[in-house]
Amino acid sequence: MEKFDKEAMIERIAETLVKAGSTFSEDKMAAYDRAVCQETSPLSEWAMQAIRENARVAKRDASPLCDDTGIPHVILEAGKNRVVSGQMLEAVYEGIAEGLRRLPGRPMAIMGDDAERISQSGGLNPDSEAVVPAPFMIRLSEDDDRLRLCVLMQGGGPEIRARTYRVFHRHSMDVVIEEIIAWASEVVGQLGCSPCTIAVGVGRSHYEASSLMLQAMEEGNYDRQSAYEKRITEALNQSGVGALGLGGKTSVLGTFLKVGPQRASGVRIVCMRPCCCFEPRRWSVDL
Amino acid sequence: MEKRIIFPAGEEEILSLAKGDRILISGRIFCGRDAVLPRIADMIRDGSIDSAPFSLEGGLIFHTAVSRAGVGPTSSNKYEIESTMEVLSEGGIRMHLGKGALKAETARALARNHAVYAVIPPVTALLNSKTISRKAVAFPELGMEALYELEVEDYPAVIAIANGESIYGEV
Repeated sequence: MEKFDKEAMIERIAETLVKAGSTFSEDKMAAYDRAVCQETSPLSEWAMQAIRENARVAKRDASPLCDDTGIPHVILEAGKNRVVSGQMLEAVYEGIAEGLRRLPGRPMAIMGDDAERISQSGGLNPDSEAVVPAPFMIRLSEDDDRLRLCVLMQGGGPEIRARTYRVFHRHSMDVVIEEIIAWASEVVGQLGCSPCTIAVGVGRSHYEASSLMLQAMEEGNYDRQSAYEKRITEALNQSGVGALGLGGKTSVLGTFLKVGPQRASGVRIVCMRPCCCFEPRRWSVDL
Repeated sequence: MEKRIIFPAGEEEILSLAKGDRILISGRIFCGRDAVLPRIADMIRDGSIDSAPFSLEGGLIFHTAVSRAGVGPTSSNKYEIESTMEVLSEGGIRMHLGKGALKAETARALARNHAVYAVIPPVTALLNSKTISRKAVAFPELGMEALYELEVEDYPAVIAIANGESIYGEV
């Protein structure tokens, strides 16, 4: 049995959650720098400068980038030489709770039974840490000795506008890409918190497509965009929505696309999430 | 160059604003969203607002929850928010602050009541550094969705709808 220091792990996971909720990655900051330079709309430029300034203040103060601090999503990647135990999973839950206390997370957990939670009639739990994480995603790492944990904080606005649905591909990648562009075109302007990042997973089931979308948010990089990712971004930037919907060239900052295994079938399941101007709020730690 | 506006504000100052103006908001402002704004609208309709321990006259309502995580705009085009803007303006609110496009009929209602709509970037960390104080002033049982009064300094915003004209065009 692999031994681990539970208290140290809780501490590192708490720090990781705070980083996820308060820190832009280097490639995201660079993407904003490029967008500000290229933007021709003074209002869109002003909005993106405010978003950059906000990122600097949030990092300095280790405070939330956005008041919707999001629902924690955890991805655990383990190599074949590492052991993931129930005790370790318990430490992950405790680390997430401690991180929410420190950030602090927005206290937005609804109390009560099924009907009360749905109708929001059971009252709000006043504790930040009452916001429990979504079920963890665990996958095998190609690095035999790696045990890596990534925390993503998923805000509510993008969840309203995201979609997971089937696409009849007609044996063409172009058909699927154009469908993704059509879906995203409907919602980029509605989000309010643009520029977006379009995260996409393409899989064999709704569960798999959503998981791949989350993995795209974890792994995507604004400095390394594939031809398909660039095509989606450029098509959506023709819309003129701009930052915060104020008009301009920067409606979408980038696209993160993850295509998984596919089945012999006429259908592909696509999950598309228009991430807000701060997302992906992500941070990883090697344990 | 930004215009600096201190709330509560005079009607003349609000009427001088045009779409696209960048502003800095200071003074005492209200915060409320989906849960509380329909209740405040009901208080205006039934007259009970007259005995409330706060005054909406010349005021600003920022469409946000107020939690320990801070403040940040929610979408103003949610039904419970956009549908109450007219009556809140009749009750004295001069500026509605949030995010997202509003309907043309809302823009006309704001113009009739000498009110404007401004959008604010969702820059919670920055806004926290510009928030001096905060207190719940009505419906505290709603927690972070109660009506709050904040004292703020230099919140950045842009006028999105003024005199019936919208930077979003006809929606």
